[in-house]
Amino acid sequence: MRLFFSVIGVLFITGFWNATNGQTKVTLKGRVTDKDLGTGKPGVTVSAGKPPVPVTQTDENGGFTVTVSLGTNLLFSHAGYNVRDYKVTAADTSDVLYIELEQSGASSLSEVRVEGYRTKNRDAATGSSATISGKVLQDVPVSNVVELLQGKVAGLDVQNNNGSPGGMGTINLRGASSISMTSDGYLRPTSPLFVVDGTPIDVNSGYEYGFQSSGPGISPIALIPPQDIEKVDVLRDAAATAQYGSRAAYGVIVITTKRGLSKVPIVSYSAQFFTKTPPKLRPILGGKEERLSRIQAILDYDSSAASALALINRYPALSDSLNPYYNNATDWQKYFFRTTLNQDHTIQVRGGDKTFNYKTNLNYYQEAGIIRNTGFKRYSLSMNARYWPVENFLADISLQGSLGQKQAGSSNTMDQDKVYNAIRSSTLMPASIYSGTGEVFNLDAIRSNNKSANILGTLNLQWEFVKGLTLRNNFSYNFNSGTEDTYTPSYLNNNSSEGITYSDRRYVINNRVSLDFVKMIGEAFQLSGGAVNEISTEGFRASRNVLVGFPSDQIEGSIGYNPMRSRGGILDNLYDKRIVGNLGYLSFNYDKRYVIDLNYRLDATSSNGPSAGYLKNPSISARWNFQKEKFLSNLEWLSYGAVRGSWGRTIAPTGDIFDVYGKYIIGQQYNNNPTVFIDLNRVPNVAFLPLTTTKTNFGTEFGLFNNRLEVNYDTYYETVDNEGREIALPNTSGFAKKMTNETSMAKFGHELTLTLRVFSPEKPVQWTVSANGALNRKVVTRLPGGLREFVFPVNDGGSNIPVVYRLGKDLTPLIYYNTGVYASTADVPVNPATGKRMQLGNQGFYMQGGDPRWVDVNGDYVIDDRDLLPLGNPFPRATGGIYSTVQYKDFMLVTQVNYTLVRDILNEAAATELSSYTTNIFAGGAVPPIENYNYWKADPGEKTTGTVGAVYPNPYDFRRAATLDPFRTNQSLFLEDGSYWKISQITLSYNFAPEFLRRFRMTSARLNLTAANVYTFSRYTGPDPELVTSFGRDKSKGYPNARTYSLGLSVQF
Amino acid sequence: MRNNNGKDMYCIVSRNTAYMLLFFMVAMTACKKLVPKERTTIGGDSGFTLDTYEPILGRTTYFSDNFYQGSTTYPADFKIINVRRRTGEPAPELTDAFPVKVWKAAYTGEEKSIAEIEAKRREEYHSILEMSPHTGDITFWGAGKSDFIFAQPDSGYLFDVELSNSGGRRFFRNLKLMPMKEIPTLPTNLNAMTGQPVGENFGLSFIENVTGIKNSSRNLGFSDVDVYIRKANPSTRNTLTFRFLDTLYQPMNPAIFNTTDWANLVHGFNMKKTDTYVQYDVAYPIPLVSVPTRYTTSDGRTARAAFTWSRIGFGGARINASFGLNFAIYDPGDWEIVFAFKNDVPKTTDDL
Repeated sequence: MRLFFSVIGVLFITGFWNATNGQTKVTLKGRVTDKDLGTGKPGVTVSAGKPPVPVTQTDENGGFTVTVSLGTNLLFSHAGYNVRDYKVTAADTSDVLYIELEQSGASSLSEVRVEGYRTKNRDAATGSSATISGKVLQDVPVSNVVELLQGKVAGLDVQNNNGSPGGMGTINLRGASSISMTSDGYLRPTSPLFVVDGTPIDVNSGYEYGFQSSGPGISPIALIPPQDIEKVDVLRDAAATAQYGSRAAYGVIVITTKRGLSKVPIVSYSAQFFTKTPPKLRPILGGKEERLSRIQAILDYDSSAASALALINRYPALSDSLNPYYNNATDWQKYFFRTTLNQDHTIQVRGGDKTFNYKTNLNYYQEAGIIRNTGFKRYSLSMNARYWPVENFLADISLQGSLGQKQAGSSNTMDQDKVYNAIRSSTLMPASIYSGTGEVFNLDAIRSNNKSANILGTLNLQWEFVKGLTLRNNFSYNFNSGTEDTYTPSYLNNNSSEGITYSDRRYVINNRVSLDFVKMIGEAFQLSGGAVNEISTEGFRASRNVLVGFPSDQIEGSIGYNPMRSRGGILDNLYDKRIVGNLGYLSFNYDKRYVIDLNYRLDATSSNGPSAGYLKNPSISARWNFQKEKFLSNLEWLSYGAVRGSWGRTIAPTGDIFDVYGKYIIGQQYNNNPTVFIDLNRVPNVAFLPLTTTKTNFGTEFGLFNNRLEVNYDTYYETVDNEGREIALPNTSGFAKKMTNETSMAKFGHELTLTLRVFSPEKPVQWTVSANGALNRKVVTRLPGGLREFVFPVNDGGSNIPVVYRLGKDLTPLIYYNTGVYASTADVPVNPATGKRMQLGNQGFYMQGGDPRWVDVNGDYVIDDRDLLPLGNPFPRATGGIYSTVQYKDFMLVTQVNYTLVRDILNEAAATELSSYTTNIFAGGAVPPIENYNYWKADPGEKTTGTVGAVYPNPYDFRRAATLDPFRTNQSLFLEDGSYWKISQITLSYNFAPEFLRRFRMTSARLNLTAANVYTFSRYTGPDPELVTSFGRDKSKGYPNARTYSLGLSVQF
Repeated sequence: MRNNNGKDMYCIVSRNTAYMLLFFMVAMTACKKLVPKERTTIGGDSGFTLDTYEPILGRTTYFSDNFYQGSTTYPADFKIINVRRRTGEPAPELTDAFPVKVWKAAYTGEEKSIAEIEAKRREEYHSILEMSPHTGDITFWGAGKSDFIFAQPDSGYLFDVELSNSGGRRFFRNLKLMPMKEIPTLPTNLNAMTGQPVGENFGLSFIENVTGIKNSSRNLGFSDVDVYIRKANPSTRNTLTFRFLDTLYQPMNPAIFNTTDWANLVHGFNMKKTDTYVQYDVAYPIPLVSVPTRYTTSDGRTARAAFTWSRIGFGGARINASFGLNFAIYDPGDWEIVFAFKNDVPKTTDDL
């Protein structure tokens, strides 16, 4: 065998070259092999002609036969491999043609990029985009593939701040694109648009406004099995996203699933068995220590000794230490967190030839959450097929049906309030349903079953009715239905059982017609263009019923409940939207050296005002592949090089139809007739505009030293205008509020990707390091009513931290600035005029030793809202990742490190921990060990003089804590550096030798060992610097991220 | 240019690179220029909520919460400018520096001597009308007296305030200052406008369970006691004296109020208790700071002097009797507070 290849190789290399270049048809026989493995590569597409048209595919041994003219360029392409170009010469006919395909990553220039329903070779792509191969997404079992995109693309900031199985973290391209906040402190999500096999999926709509909405809480992206993904394209600038129209303002992520490409059907099976372990649990003081700590605090700080004794005696948990009920040391955390064993199985069958090919993918994913009674299961069946009977007609069909099933446990997707409270309850209590945490402790009694079903269907038709003129139609349909069923038995719900049923349905229909032409003028000049019309309709409706008081816990039925206390109906977040877009585009390409793209869109949405009409959204972009210039062509070290530039505008519909047209509401009866009148809460704004982003991008990319080093740099400036914001109207207007478009922001930054192949391609060891990084800043540039600044109050579950909007600055929380702790009362500043000490609020509450020293900004000796300062930077300035692959023979080691830098977090977790010494001093609650904190301790026998130079104020003075709230979150004491470096993946994999596999009739088999979310390096003292809200607040109520250890096997027959 | 050798090629490359770099730099600086500069704000909605200031001369008045911040960014700078009389001429009496006593450490009520109190305040020179530099709070120092400051019914003074920060500046014009004449004590018998007495004396603040000697069936009430607060002329020291007079305006022995906490009656020192009066060395004003101490009412605004005694009443019941006065004195000197039992004298002996 080996001798055979060697002979062929020698013949090929020494080659009988024939200079004649006639147009005679010849028949070639050849074989395509994997360059690294040396094995035949089945399913490689062989294309010929200009533009290249697939003519055949290689068989299971990599062999192929093709009849072409001499001098034709043959293109050999396969997903995950670099395209190989080969010019047919007469010499090739006499022997077997031997082609080696190299795995991609070796030179990324020949990648095929997606730019809006069209694929382009990367050297013709004028926009800023990046591609992630599906291969790098296979080794870590995750419920949502978005988790794996973290750190892989410069500028794509993924924060996995929700470890809930089936949920989704925050994803922003080039930073958040919105400055709207909800009143409870969430930034409006601006996730890029996902396009799955041509179907747009807008993940922002299901998760709008801070996750507190009801519903099954399953992200639609979580229903796509990662094993089925061929590649992921991330489109960043206006040129790349222009084709996607009115929802592409925040960027586009295109997910392409695998496709059948082999005459002999390929059956592949992959399985992952993985265990998820909870993060390090927080230390607490157990049992007796908790009791003594509380008793000591009461004795030390109550107003009198008699009162202190009375208080202690009143609360049996403190005084009745001999009672077994109050004499425990229960670590609640261990009852709620667990290590779980999970699995993921995928079977894929694919095959076919050029005229017809198909793929079927069956996936089962099961993950039990690390919090008890939570989990996620995915059942997914997807198929696609391509029918290409004649050269000028093509039909693609794909269908994907998936069902997600989720146990939400005691809470909704984002917050785990009940578990949060339960693990903070007193350790003195026994672990039983009779104690305060009974409801959570007995979670299994709550029957909670949430489901989300998703059907994606697309049909692509393509007909080249005249040479160079193609009519395309792309129809896609997405239907998503979610249900939620929760039943709480009466003994957990104040003797009144409760059944909640929720159902929603959402549909999106898109149709896109385009007429495209390609024209070669002369040898090198290519002109292409076309016109596109797209329409989209989308609807959503949800209903929810809460039935209370069933006759018994066994009856969960439709009768017998208490109608007086039951509620239900259609939720008011229903919508029905339409979008229409028309696009004309032109593209000039001279010798692949100079490329210019022009796009002009006209967009209208149903949430535009009628007087806003169609919005004109042009974009222009250009690319110069400078290595093709003559004066640079003899530079050996320059493999390729290009400069890109683009400018363009895109819109995103915001607001709803009621902002535009107002609302009629039904009033009281008058003369026995219902009355209908206009809702005076909001005045209609018929000129309401959608959010508009204008993006300018410059980039350069080049490969040096035979692509051993590749550099990709982008810089951008982006404005987001016309963001909807409600303003209050003067009461003389008759209406209370108005939605305006007067808010704008700008963001700008740099992105850099470096890929380094450390060893030359001939070496047996291959080491590839790809590092990317992005710097991003955003500033407010316009506020309603011409204001320079306003303060937005945020009611954030007790800790109210207002946010300041100031021109030229990003949104910033307003907090008190700490400069330590008053060592003694004598240190408290005194108002020279009145002789009064610094006070908290103008209420006669004077600061004393042990209190936090907050800076009195306005110098009035009163600490109040006027002393709040905009401090900290809640948004990450720098994000990125490093991806390293080391390959030696059949072993491969993959390491991924992600980072987020220059970001401040308000450590609400520490604030809550420290205030737990006083907040529940009588009712009880777990308290953390305090030795690690440099806190103020009173001198012996004193109450108001103590530690000099303490950082944390006195945690024990419970009498004053209610007013002073010394551990309030809105102080710089808890503002910490939230930068982190995270080892997010280590994978060791082994490819079995083909000789060994042949015995089992397998073509390939691969074993991998993976550890994910391995370790986070951070100076942050809270639990996890990633598990914070998009506004940098560590509420610690979220679902923690688990560490995963996985064993995976994938075989192919 | 020379031949097309390698060197020249490098030259061209580097020049191109240089052009490219220049282009990017220009592009980036252009972007930076598009973004508005971060500046603080002077709010159009900000303003003084109090535009007429009527401090009482002779005592330090601190006006706070008189400025609505609105959308103004703090810290901001406040400055009083252009202080003038109503006639338009300048008012140096308000802007010149006068010696005033400013607090340097907090008064707690725990001080053990006059010296300790005085150590906590110091004499400094301040303009009578002063504004805190970063807040609109106005201090009107107690050094201002009606002998050189126009007091009501005169229409007083006008002044402007300049508010500025990096966002700009704004002027608030024609704020009014109309001081009232000195009222050195509280309670007072002086008319606020004229400064002339309109009554001879005033009543007690509280009286409880006080039985008279003449008529044991009736408890003494507020109308049975007159209170006088007087300043010795000339005053030589800072003292406070309590005297008690019977129906014939003869001095009574304070010792009969046997459970009175004489040592802590007022925050005074060197108590001199004789058969006719009780005298303390004190620091003025009383109360020194309006914070609650053991010597003041619960709101801390006035001092509270309570005289108590305990006796066995009719039928053997223990009767705890008390009377007293909540008062304030702003003017230093030798003051005395006189309680005149004009109708009947309180019974302090036991009924047997």
